[in-house]
Amino acid sequence: MHFAYSALQAILNGILTGSLYALIGMGMALIFGVMRIVNFAHGAFLMLGMYVTYALFLRPGLNPYIAFLVAGLFLFIFGYLVYMGLLRPIRGHTDFMDILMTMGLSLILIDGVQLIFGADYHQINIPLLSKNIHFGPQISLNAPWLVSFVIALVCALLLYYVVMHTMFGRAARAIAQNRYSAPLVGINVNRVQGIAFGIGAAAAGMAGGLLLPVFYLYPEVGNQFKLKSFVMVVLGGMGSIQGAAVAGIVLGVVESLTSLYWGNEWALAVDFVIFILVLSFRPNGLFGSQRV
Amino acid sequence: MALLEVKNISKRFGGLLAINDVSFSVGEKEMAFVVGPNGAGKTTLFNLICSVFHPDRGSIVFNGNDISTISPDRAAKLGIGRTFQIVKPLRNLTVLENVMLGAFLHTSSPAKAAAEAVKVLKFLEMDSAMHFPARGLGLPMLKRLEIARAIATQPKLILLDEVVAGLPTSEALRLAGLLKRLPEWGISAVGGVEHVMQVVMKVADRVIVLDHGSLIAEGTPQEVVHRPEVIEAYLGAKYRKLIHE
Amino acid sequence: MSGAAKKKWEAITIVAFFVAALLVPVVVRADYTLQVLFRVFLFAALGLAWNLVGGYTGQLSLGHAAYFGVGAYGLALFSKLGAPNIVAVLLSMVVAILFATLIGAVSFRLRGPYFALSTIAFAEVLRLVAKNLPNVTGGDVGIQVPLLFTHASIISFYLSAVLLTAAVLGITVWIVRSRLGYYLMAIREDEDTAMSVGVNATKYKLIALLLSSAFTALGGALYASLFLYIVPDQVLSMDISSEVAIVAMLGGAGTLIGPLVGSLILESSAEVFKNIFQEAHLLIYGVLIMLVVLFLPKGIVGTLMQKLRFFKSPPQAPFAAKPPGELNNEPERAAIGE
Repeated sequence: MHFAYSALQAILNGILTGSLYALIGMGMALIFGVMRIVNFAHGAFLMLGMYVTYALFLRPGLNPYIAFLVAGLFLFIFGYLVYMGLLRPIRGHTDFMDILMTMGLSLILIDGVQLIFGADYHQINIPLLSKNIHFGPQISLNAPWLVSFVIALVCALLLYYVVMHTMFGRAARAIAQNRYSAPLVGINVNRVQGIAFGIGAAAAGMAGGLLLPVFYLYPEVGNQFKLKSFVMVVLGGMGSIQGAAVAGIVLGVVESLTSLYWGNEWALAVDFVIFILVLSFRPNGLFGSQRV
Repeated sequence: MALLEVKNISKRFGGLLAINDVSFSVGEKEMAFVVGPNGAGKTTLFNLICSVFHPDRGSIVFNGNDISTISPDRAAKLGIGRTFQIVKPLRNLTVLENVMLGAFLHTSSPAKAAAEAVKVLKFLEMDSAMHFPARGLGLPMLKRLEIARAIATQPKLILLDEVVAGLPTSEALRLAGLLKRLPEWGISAVGGVEHVMQVVMKVADRVIVLDHGSLIAEGTPQEVVHRPEVIEAYLGAKYRKLIHE
Repeated sequence: MSGAAKKKWEAITIVAFFVAALLVPVVVRADYTLQVLFRVFLFAALGLAWNLVGGYTGQLSLGHAAYFGVGAYGLALFSKLGAPNIVAVLLSMVVAILFATLIGAVSFRLRGPYFALSTIAFAEVLRLVAKNLPNVTGGDVGIQVPLLFTHASIISFYLSAVLLTAAVLGITVWIVRSRLGYYLMAIREDEDTAMSVGVNATKYKLIALLLSSAFTALGGALYASLFLYIVPDQVLSMDISSEVAIVAMLGGAGTLIGPLVGSLILESSAEVFKNIFQEAHLLIYGVLIMLVVLFLPKGIVGTLMQKLRFFKSPPQAPFAAKPPGELNNEPERAAIGE
């Protein structure tokens, strides 16, 4: 009985962490889907969002669950500018160059933050941290994770709505399907791509803000999430946002169960093993059906 | 026994039945043309014959070998050469290097490959452009380059997908004259053509007509061109009556 | 300058360069400088090895740390099992080739960025396995590596790195002038076209990767032996994979000496930055990468070749008609090029 409850607890925790992964992954999927850019700076965007939230927590004392929105806005603008200034000029070149450019950007951001804030680990303490919600005697969920779960869910649904039901979303999907014809139907490709990149960055930034209460803050914090985003995008299939979201939850649950039965240290390794298995047997991802 | 035997092949892509129970054969040193309106399935047919796709049903036998399930490079090794409808030159290499790529199928020496490539380029009257990078060429030369590369692999059968499409008529006819000489190199050919009927009439021994994935007529160019089904497929039903009057 | 004479000059320059490199320890005594030069040549060799699969075949591998790490850990583990140094190194190269076969078999079915992500995943799995099996690999605590030479002198390491670079460069030259080179470049330019003329793309990609992995592993063993002690995050990290790829790409992927130039410039710059800027050296490094991507997209050597048109190079052949006379004399030389 106890065995089942530990598993259930792990699964529920996994869904909570997975929801945050999903938000990050959806951002990456949007960028990859619309622009075929593998954004190696995605982790750095998350890290920036976390630091912005932290800075707002320190000075005005803003609650991270409000400050994360500011982080999102900041990253949206930042992402848009990055796309326009750095990525658009090299769009004609190979995929390699996008990767190199975002790698370079990532180095700059991480090292820059290290210069400003130092390499120390930081942690914040909010009263919510110690609250746990209990579901019966066996299951308890940590309040901050629950809050971020709800917020991440709302953000994900918002993002889905934007992509599916707004003009911008339609334009973005048009570009994703056929980059060359999109301008022919009046789509301002550069602007839409810039906005898409901004939204993707904002998703990572917001996730960073939501992570602040429950995670250590340090310049390289984004690296592991960047790697996980790659996994999610591929698992979800060809830049599908819904796919990446589900993949995020799956990843969260699998990691949680792995930690339970084999120990924390194997969690990330299992992510990659799943990644490799999916690539070997279903390269279109779990949900991808069309080829891009 | 025919060089190429296509037996009752069908291919479906999702909801679209691209090729529907098509059968025909091509003999040695024969020039066959597959004609049909846009969307008839010519390119799909070619992709099936050179094993880029595999048929859902039916079989394709080439030179006695069942090639229904092999890989494209294996098809090339067995002696099927092809050109692509949308030309695919190796843009950063020269014309000569492009053709050498084909010649390498039968030799591992760059020197021999180059010599073979020069021979092929001379046949196609392109040897003066040997050292130009492929990216600088115009469409007529690129089409010839496609053919040269395929010929350099010393195939028994060449699939020429829309090889004269987009060319001015004079160039198309010139090219057709060269193609008619392919049997001298021991090569049979199957061409795919949508509308340049002059070339077909001049070059083809046999014509196979496709419409919406099905084979609707087969015979010599003269026979086929008068068949009502063919006219209907190209021009629409109301013209079918016209011809009968 | 006629083709044959040009080739001779190229060969002479390269040989002269390596002779000079080998003579450096006669003039330069400072251990620190030699250590920097060791790193320069090691990464030149690694970049050249990467270039075989990443540059000439066009398959962007971001997981070469896997082979580097296998070389490093192979040397450590096989000698722990009692093998003499040379045997341990050779065995670790074999293991690297086996891993390359597995990684290639899975990853080469994917194209473009998916291939790159797959290579990252494999390297990360190896790193995490090394971290999490302390009984085998020592985990995060690390493992000892034997000294490959009788004297613990940086000079031996430096000279080995120079020789390794020369070897990989030599292999690259041999490949580029052969049918294998043509096939690899054809795969890079257009895989479907290559298949249509009988090239089994997967087979040739694998050949390139196997060669690349073997030399990368050799570099890894050399590197590990210099430090005498390794941990997973040092030899199996994405930092190594990225650095190797960046060195090659910024120098000029798909060119013969691009990775060598790339390493010379990048590794020495990084060292200079580390000294001047201390804290901010990675930042400057990142700026450098971005500047090159923006202004020298074909890498330093690639862009130079484009501009100067000295050598005929497959990545960017200049549009120049040869006069009819020259045509008749050199169908072979013209065809082979760089």
